[in-house]
Amino acid sequence: MSDALFPVVAITMGIMMLAAGIAALYVRRLLSAIIIVAFVSLSASVLFLLMDATDVAVTEAAVGAVVSTMIFLWGRGKIGGDR
Amino acid sequence: MIRSIFGLILVLVLGAIMVAVVPDIEYSEEIHGVGLHYTSQGMQETGSANLVTAVIVAYRGLDTLGEVVVLFCASTSVVLILSLYPLSLKVSRPSFIVAQTSRLLPAPILLLGLYLIAHSHLSPGGGFPGGAVIASAFLLVMLGGTGVPGSSRNLAAVESLAGLSFGLLGFWGVMKLGQFLNNLVLGTGTPGSLVSAGLIPLISLVIGIKVASELSSVFAAFRYKGGH
Repeated sequence: MSDALFPVVAITMGIMMLAAGIAALYVRRLLSAIIIVAFVSLSASVLFLLMDATDVAVTEAAVGAVVSTMIFLWGRGKIGGDR
Repeated sequence: MIRSIFGLILVLVLGAIMVAVVPDIEYSEEIHGVGLHYTSQGMQETGSANLVTAVIVAYRGLDTLGEVVVLFCASTSVVLILSLYPLSLKVSRPSFIVAQTSRLLPAPILLLGLYLIAHSHLSPGGGFPGGAVIASAFLLVMLGGTGVPGSSRNLAAVESLAGLSFGLLGFWGVMKLGQFLNNLVLGTGTPGSLVSAGLIPLISLVIGIKVASELSSVFAAFRYKGGH
């Protein structure tokens, strides 16, 4: 990633994550909200990678994008689907 | 209505605090203080080529022990609560794609997790992400319905053993060098080789096993009635 391109990519991804975060609050289906939160986690992981924080990126991808998403999904199953 | 107004006020207050505090944080290009010591001496002192792991496991090993304890308490409470109130989770048959993926992918994912743990002192990774990756391999097996992870009792035994080993590795430092969790009970070796960096690889392994078994037991508690 060249130095000139980095702010553009970072700000674009930041705006996308912000929009996704707000969308997760207002979206009607719980399932969609969970997938949007997973997207935010994955974007955060890519941003960490671009900022050369590879250790944090690996952890965020494993814990934020996979483990917490699965726990949310099964929690949704436990409370009986979308409400 | 009152709740949303209260929430709005809370957000505004937090925002005001952020606006007040953030400009006062000083960022500088040069590293100073304890960070300078870590970046200049860290590699010689710990023998770890990955400075992040050196800080997490060697310099701040006690904090990591605390973190492991916090994670233990969290996963224990999740499993406890879910076993007290076993709500039924409708488990449908996995689709063709999930079933086939759960046969193919767990082995490479497991390998990646083991790599992250074994090379924690050489490349990005470490016990926590490695353990989470290994747990996600078990998760895929559970999703595919091709197998069931070990019983919750076995998982708890593995987890306790790993936690105990962390403490024992710490006390090894007390016995040998008079300091809890001293990294130098084993030689540092050549930085960059697989067998180097003192205790770091062993502690990473222990953390990885512990995190993997904890997350697996949380998954199992969600997936199966009464934890299994």
